[in-house]
Amino acid sequence: MTNQSTNAGAAEVTAIDTHARWPLLYLIGAGLVWLIVSGVLSLIAAIQLHSPAYLAECAWFTHGRVEAMRETAFIYGWAANAGLAIGTWLLGRLGGYPLRGLNWFVVGGVFWNLAVAAGLIGIAAGEMTSFAVLQLPRAVQPLLVLSYAATAISGVLAWSGRKRAGTFASQWYAVAALFLFPWFLTATQVVLLWTPVRGVVQAVAAAWYAEGVFALWLAPLALAGAYYVVPKVSGRTLPSYEAAPVAFWTLIVVGTWTAGRHLVGGPVPAWLPTMGVVGTSLLLFHFLVLAFNFKIALTPAGTAMNFLRFGLLAYLLYGVFTTIASFRGVAAHAQFTFVTVALEQLGFYGAVSMLFFGTLYYMVPRLTGRDWALPGLASAHFVTASTGLVLALVALAVAGETQGNLLLEAKATYAEIFQQVSVPLMIHTAAQFLLIAANLLLLVNFAMSAWACGEKACASAAGLLRSSSSMEASAS
Amino acid sequence: MKNGPLFLVGLFLSVLIAWSGIVLGSHAQLGRQTPFFDEGDGVAYPARQMGLAARGQLVYADLGCASCHTQQVRRPGFGNDQGRGWGERQSVARDYLFQTRPQLGASRFGPDLTNLGGRKPQPPTEEALYRFLYEGSPTHPPYAFLFENLPIAGEVSSLALKLSGTSAPASGRQIVPGERARTLVAYLRNLNTVYDYPESRPLPVEQKAPAKEEAKK
Repeated sequence: MTNQSTNAGAAEVTAIDTHARWPLLYLIGAGLVWLIVSGVLSLIAAIQLHSPAYLAECAWFTHGRVEAMRETAFIYGWAANAGLAIGTWLLGRLGGYPLRGLNWFVVGGVFWNLAVAAGLIGIAAGEMTSFAVLQLPRAVQPLLVLSYAATAISGVLAWSGRKRAGTFASQWYAVAALFLFPWFLTATQVVLLWTPVRGVVQAVAAAWYAEGVFALWLAPLALAGAYYVVPKVSGRTLPSYEAAPVAFWTLIVVGTWTAGRHLVGGPVPAWLPTMGVVGTSLLLFHFLVLAFNFKIALTPAGTAMNFLRFGLLAYLLYGVFTTIASFRGVAAHAQFTFVTVALEQLGFYGAVSMLFFGTLYYMVPRLTGRDWALPGLASAHFVTASTGLVLALVALAVAGETQGNLLLEAKATYAEIFQQVSVPLMIHTAAQFLLIAANLLLLVNFAMSAWACGEKACASAAGLLRSSSSMEASAS
Repeated sequence: MKNGPLFLVGLFLSVLIAWSGIVLGSHAQLGRQTPFFDEGDGVAYPARQMGLAARGQLVYADLGCASCHTQQVRRPGFGNDQGRGWGERQSVARDYLFQTRPQLGASRFGPDLTNLGGRKPQPPTEEALYRFLYEGSPTHPPYAFLFENLPIAGEVSSLALKLSGTSAPASGRQIVPGERARTLVAYLRNLNTVYDYPESRPLPVEQKAPAKEEAKK
């Protein structure tokens, strides 16, 4: 397999890249560490599903808390860091000037990660909010907004002060994610944490936020990467690109009206689930346009493209399956089972994460100015990660399907259901092992690449120092 | 999209409209809901949770029980919640009126707990729940950390678990539920949506069913 796409010729690395090198590499590195943390927590949670007594004697590792920590480390640790780095880098490159406000970017990045770390400890100690996707304790929530806003400044400045008059799809998606997240996070904090609304309206607001995290934040960041890298690697323009704005606005305008799909048959106004069906169906248009835009992603080779192809396919499948699952007849079966978990993993891991991986394989060599230190690990990462992910998703779907069918039979006891799903759940555990192994490959590869780049930078800095001191010597 | 500020305003408005529609819309519909006063009983439903049970909900939330248990019964004919004995009627928004943080949940790897305190034929006793939480089961983790292993000083505590076999404490010691276990069990035993509100009666399904049978005849 050739790895052309991950190789960066020296000519391709511009001053814009080198200027922002270390801030961006810091965020990516932090994200990858969180990815491993989240992987280990996923593994613990997965084991607990078929062996409930595992780590149960320790209050910090009850299943509910591990589950909340896993999700938090994945979304706010890995996806947020990597997504911010990708979005800011793209906006810088496409804006045409070196990034401004990088000190804000670094300070924001440091505090964001401190907030996530403190939040995880808080969850372990029992301070979680108990709203899915927003489990970080109350105490760190304000810091989350402030540090994100600080980090996002660079990207938004690069957008508003861009050199070219025209804009690209990557820019729309990236700037939307950077700009919108603090707003809808704040709006959600107000109605859930500071002045809580009553009763089930909380569940509605939490569902809306969960949709926002995907549709207004992580999916746009992932798509920004795909819109940038796919044409670059394939060397072709995207077909039907003129429809891309419509796809973008469909996602932004309709993306969160789908909140009701989480509450089908629940104690909420009936128009909410109906709106969920309408929303997911309208969103199909967004996915359709993407399918046309990214037709050309099917052929090019290379690790970056392999990940992007996998991610785009997963993203389209996610669109189709969420629509199907939002219908009442299907929800009666699939709701509250592992099918829902599989679907969520398909979106957050299969689509968002894999698109991030693909973009990172293209981006990191351009930041460091040299190839990946261990190119062999890159292809190994793709093989292991995609195998692990497919295995995990299929296992969860099978477990969920079995569980859904048995729940509909009044005679099947919980012990029977547990027995029937324990084999797929064990396979799911094995898949989690594979995913940790895969992501360790990426972390090692990244650390080696960054280290090599750092050594080079030190050497050149030392060289500069020497030459300047010799100049001084000659001047005196 | 060439106009930067307009683009950002457009983004902002899209999200503002969606948030107003979904969140404020639901709030407008349900935010002013009041308890239902039954003139026959002379009591308003739902009742507020008592202190111990209300504190128990916090324990339920911080242990993340909602990651495997739902607290929402679906209507008859939608799923099989009635067949499983989880509740005769669907849960409605009014049931959660006084809950500071409703635990609707999204997974049923464990059973629904909406009406645990009113299970037919018999709801679980306090003692059974303590034992269950302490020992666990093949499908449920044991939460021994909610309990205290104390030396028996004088009389055995009235709350001490009557354990036998491997889970029994050493002689001269007893297993007593801690404060968190006591509030949690009080909360669990209090879980019951007793009252049938006008909006919770599953009328349409009942009307349809006989009509179909008649048509068949």
